Amino acid sequence: MTAPTIPHGKAGSSNERVIISVRNLVKYFPIEAGFLRRQVGLVKAVDDVSFDLVEGETLALVGESGCGKTTTSRCVIQALKPTAGQVLFQMDGTPAVDLTQLDKKALKVARRNIRMIYQDPYSSLNPRMTLLQIIGEPLVINRAVKGRAELEERVAELLRMVRLDPGAMNRYPHAFSGGQRQRIAIARALSLSPKVVIADEAVSALDVSVQAQILNLLKELQKELGLTYLFVAHNLAVVKYEADRVAVMYAGKIVETAETEALYITPKHPYTEALLSAAPNPDPDTRNRPRIVLTGDVADAGNLPTGCAFHPRCQYAQDRCRQETPELVNVANAGEPAHLSACHFAKELELVGIVATVGEARNG
Amino acid sequence: MSNSYPTSTLDSALEIPANTLLSVRNLQTHFFSREGTVKAVDGVTFDVKQGEILGIAGESGCGKSVTSQSIMRILPKNAKIVGGEILYNHQGQFIDLTTVEPDGKMIRGIRGKEIAMIFQEPMTAFSPVHTIGNQIIETIRIHQPMSQEEARAKAIEMLYRVGMPNPGRNIDQYTFNLSGGMRQRAMVALALSCQPKLLIADEPTTAVDVTIQAQILRLLREIQADLGMAIIMITHDLGVIAELTDRVLIMYLGKEVEYGPVKNVFHHPRHPYTRGLLASIPKMVPGRIEIEPIEGSVPSPYAMPTGCKFHPRCRDFMRGVCEVSEPPLIPIAPGHEVSCYLYGGREERA
Repeated sequence: MTAPTIPHGKAGSSNERVIISVRNLVKYFPIEAGFLRRQVGLVKAVDDVSFDLVEGETLALVGESGCGKTTTSRCVIQALKPTAGQVLFQMDGTPAVDLTQLDKKALKVARRNIRMIYQDPYSSLNPRMTLLQIIGEPLVINRAVKGRAELEERVAELLRMVRLDPGAMNRYPHAFSGGQRQRIAIARALSLSPKVVIADEAVSALDVSVQAQILNLLKELQKELGLTYLFVAHNLAVVKYEADRVAVMYAGKIVETAETEALYITPKHPYTEALLSAAPNPDPDTRNRPRIVLTGDVADAGNLPTGCAFHPRCQYAQDRCRQETPELVNVANAGEPAHLSACHFAKELELVGIVATVGEARNG
Repeated sequence: MSNSYPTSTLDSALEIPANTLLSVRNLQTHFFSREGTVKAVDGVTFDVKQGEILGIAGESGCGKSVTSQSIMRILPKNAKIVGGEILYNHQGQFIDLTTVEPDGKMIRGIRGKEIAMIFQEPMTAFSPVHTIGNQIIETIRIHQPMSQEEARAKAIEMLYRVGMPNPGRNIDQYTFNLSGGMRQRAMVALALSCQPKLLIADEPTTAVDVTIQAQILRLLREIQADLGMAIIMITHDLGVIAELTDRVLIMYLGKEVEYGPVKNVFHHPRHPYTRGLLASIPKMVPGRIEIEPIEGSVPSPYAMPTGCKFHPRCRDFMRGVCEVSEPPLIPIAPGHEVSCYLYGGREERA
């Protein structure tokens, strides 16, 4: 495995290890038309995306619908075959493998270590299977347990891990609430003791009180099991709470990536600034803050603007932005953790991030 | 015949301040099915003043949408308003909307004209096989005596008002020609085409992206200031409530939990449920954030807890009190009420 050329956030410490390295990932979908289904165009869902996932961290992919965050995550786990690019996966003490080049059998082995949690726990769990079958299925398929007793023991352990009663393992999903179902989905994802978990909008469908439970559970499990998360989400407040590093995507490209705190306080891309400004804040005192309200809609990945894809909505856009596509480059000051931005004017612009509110003490 | 208002409500109508547009009192809307009765809304009381924005917030199953469907009289067939009053100020006289025929002339003259509604999914409001213009023009001409040309000009004006990029062209487009954000705007134009006095917005920004949400919220705020209508904003998103509303009603399992000016409720939440909700949302402020979830989950509507509906999840649960009977609404500050025994009401119980 060639050493990663793209700097990642925790560049300072040396004992960290890149577990997944995504290199120049591309995923195009053809647009077909007519009776003969001739290809008339391309949807550039993911267009040259590179990032490293460091062992034990939570990296969030954020952006609006159609930005390519979900497609990226599906390409990482090879649920979608990338058009081009590499997904290098390296376990401790083994040579790195490119998941895009593996045959079916080798991929199945690799995938034991990369599992997924989906958004909707009502459709991701088979209603005709008991919890024992749902959570135990990956164990049985991968022959990770011997015999029924061992299977039940492992499932009970997994249920306890997600704070559910092991006595419920013979019940069906309909007996559980949305939050409990998401716990079941997490238990299933963890059944083979994976290294990496991809959470695709894993809390978006949940009520806020339950969402908070799942967010905390994911954090606790990460600490207990040393998990690495790729956290795909659109809710910026949730990402602020959950992620160590954030990559913001727009129209199939990463436009900014940095450590969470740096990205939220000193954004270096106008799109990040606009996203942070648009997010509603649960404090009535901040409602009159100056806000950037973007005009127009998210760029159409089947018909991208020239130059920087964000330029038609960008209040700082200049001629250069209409002609030249900006590269994702490090704009951090020397000695600071990497802060990458794909904006021609990242260094000149003084963008506004989140600020502390003057909110009065709660429960006062 | 349009003067044959129900008279049964006039006694209570006398106590209502004149600037009140809508007064919902002890509303009870229940669903009847083979599995049993679901008390989706069970005793909810609130007022909407002319020109104000009231928020109704709560998690799934709290009854916030059923409340709005009760006001509009567009409940599903197995639902019924079994008690309470919905007093609507119709040209200075209060009509009880619970007593009018759900598809009668009276409500049809109000629905769409005086009280309009926007939804989470614009496709619930629009037909896919007619142009958006024709649908707006039809709505205008049902409620106002206008020629086709006048109504068309008015429809274009409304589309312009909601910020459609090219109203003259957009009016002849179908919903499938429009992006999600544009559909949402077209739906707002449709709802506002007859200058309603009250706009009920049921999760209008839940299905759209955050940058589009900011556009829609700004649009609602501007139009509210321009036209002076009142808005009921129904949402699960406390961020949206904080951004937009003057007053807020927090609901849980069909019950009113806390009701008051939005600043009071957000800065000095009293009910343990309101506190729990606010503590559950991660804040967008610098530094480390803590969140504190509410334990447990919303119970099944067929297995409602006794007493205070929140008691099984409440960290301030008082045995022998909370599970025994329902707490009354207790005034905390002017216009701020909370339904919790922590603040009194235990004496009257005996």
